Amino acid sequence: MLRDERVKHAFIWPALLVVLLVTMFPLVYSLVASFMKYRLIPPTPPRFVGLENYASLLGLERFWTVIGTTSLISFIAVAVQYVIGFALALALHAKVFGHRQLRVWLLAPMLMAPVAVALMMRMIFHPALGPVNHIFSSIGYPNLPFLTDASYAKGVLIAVEVWMWTPFVTLLLLAGLQSLPQDVYEAAELENATPWRRFWDITFPMLLPISVAVVLIRLIESLKIIDTVIVLTGGGPGVATETLTLFAYQEGFRKFNLGYTSALSFLFLIVVIIFGLIYLAVLKPRIEKYR
Amino acid sequence: MNIGSVKQFGPTARGLVLGGVMGWAFLTLFPFYWTFVTSFKNLRIIVKGPTYFPFIDFQPSAHGWVELFTGVRGEMFKNLANSTMVGVSAALVATLFGTMAAYALTRYRFRVPLAAGLAFAVIAIGGYVGLTELGMKRFEAISLAFAVGLAVSVVLGNIKLPGPLLGNEDIVFWFISQRMFPPIVSAFALFLLYSEFGKAGFKMTDTYLGLTLCYIAFSLPIVVWLMRDFFEALPPEIEEAAIVDDVPVWRIFVQIVLPMVMPGLAATFMITLAFVWNEYLFALFLTNTTWQTLPILVASQISQRGDEWWALSTAALTAIVPMMLVVWLLGKLMRSGLMLGSIK
Repeated sequence: MLRDERVKHAFIWPALLVVLLVTMFPLVYSLVASFMKYRLIPPTPPRFVGLENYASLLGLERFWTVIGTTSLISFIAVAVQYVIGFALALALHAKVFGHRQLRVWLLAPMLMAPVAVALMMRMIFHPALGPVNHIFSSIGYPNLPFLTDASYAKGVLIAVEVWMWTPFVTLLLLAGLQSLPQDVYEAAELENATPWRRFWDITFPMLLPISVAVVLIRLIESLKIIDTVIVLTGGGPGVATETLTLFAYQEGFRKFNLGYTSALSFLFLIVVIIFGLIYLAVLKPRIEKYR
Repeated sequence: MNIGSVKQFGPTARGLVLGGVMGWAFLTLFPFYWTFVTSFKNLRIIVKGPTYFPFIDFQPSAHGWVELFTGVRGEMFKNLANSTMVGVSAALVATLFGTMAAYALTRYRFRVPLAAGLAFAVIAIGGYVGLTELGMKRFEAISLAFAVGLAVSVVLGNIKLPGPLLGNEDIVFWFISQRMFPPIVSAFALFLLYSEFGKAGFKMTDTYLGLTLCYIAFSLPIVVWLMRDFFEALPPEIEEAAIVDDVPVWRIFVQIVLPMVMPGLAATFMITLAFVWNEYLFALFLTNTTWQTLPILVASQISQRGDEWWALSTAALTAIVPMMLVVWLLGKLMRSGLMLGSIK
């Protein structure tokens, strides 16, 4: 190409510099802190302790409970999002009645502030005065403790997560559907394949690569869940709905236990990477098969 | 064309599909409707149980909105102004820088030796640890280690080094991978960095600059990811013709390339704006009173005014309504057909 190669640096450096400055620092800082005994309140001089923070976390029962809660919420929520989101994308792609308006307004939840959504949901799931209780009362189950019982509270958090993020799955799968080549479908039409067969033999396999990406993005984002939890349950009852980020927040912001929080977040990162790698390892052969 | 259309199904199946979609649409829109209606209720109406239709099963009153606009309680307007200023400026700068980076990453070839990147990591971490051990203050230590690390890696990047090379794909992946890191750590560490800045005489916590800078950095990965798709969909021939005619690169970028990706640019700007507008965790750590943003105030309503549902509703709607506008604008862009193939 005839391009002047030096110009590219002027284009990339502003972004590179900002990201290096603001996001690499926390990485370095917390990586170093995670190997230290380091508290701000009461102020103690940092002392190198090696893997002690990691070891004490791994031996902590609460840590494993928190991992369990976070993965439970994320996995169920993302699975439900994927199924509903895919179904919606198919319906919108098939030009269901009102699809032009629906395509836009069904996106609304994912662009709303999670704290505002949580505020709305707190009213809607109120055990005595909310509309959801209204429905359950009318079928004979009045005043269920939606936010104060461990299992119900997890259920509500999953429901809110599904409500907010299903549109994301729909948006990306719809874009994927629109980019599929038409001739494959025309061939299937000639062979009189039923819509059911066409979905499993053509649409689903061809959308598998984008599906894998969408689910991975959602999973990573979902494991970070905190805003809605703080407003809806505050991690309660007890620590029943405490998620990883909330746990780190409690340790860091309330107790200012710096080394511990940093170690926690690196364990968090390791959890995310392990989930991601297992997920990709399981799915990769399947994607390759359809390429 | 019937392929892939609802028309291929029988009437029963069509009814089921339509019913399902309408059911979901109802679930999606009901909470917004209900919050809107609730903002017109008073305590007497709320304690009687859920009511849904103003004038039919309850008498609406505008006192919630009057309270909000007269600022009787809370400082909604100040937070609204803060959110707007920080959101718009962070989204503008992030879109500009990110678009430039995405353009360079689609139209030019980058070859960075892996050794240069590793050198940066080693010098930055090692230098920081070593210098603090030698008794240097944290702020000076980290600045020095970063500057030296950056300089060394730039020099190394320009000479031929053995070992694997990082290409454009790797750089894009590096940008995007910034989003994988749990934000709680970044927020906390950034808070400490800003505090160190403060000790060195340069206030960053609870300032416009500190918050905006943080949002720019954390929006950039999204912008690079989105804009790269738009540039890849753009045929390079027009630009190449201009290069042959000796048009300077910045003029090609501003006068030819940017107008062609305008819809994508607008969409990216709005998505970034939504991200910054809705962000809670960083604002929680990095602001105090002066530059507190809307989500912080919205979240605090629950402890301050838990039973006053009209106040919760008006607060939630204040954060939501501007984003509804964004949804509407995005819808217009999508319908203009210029965004096809954007998000793939």
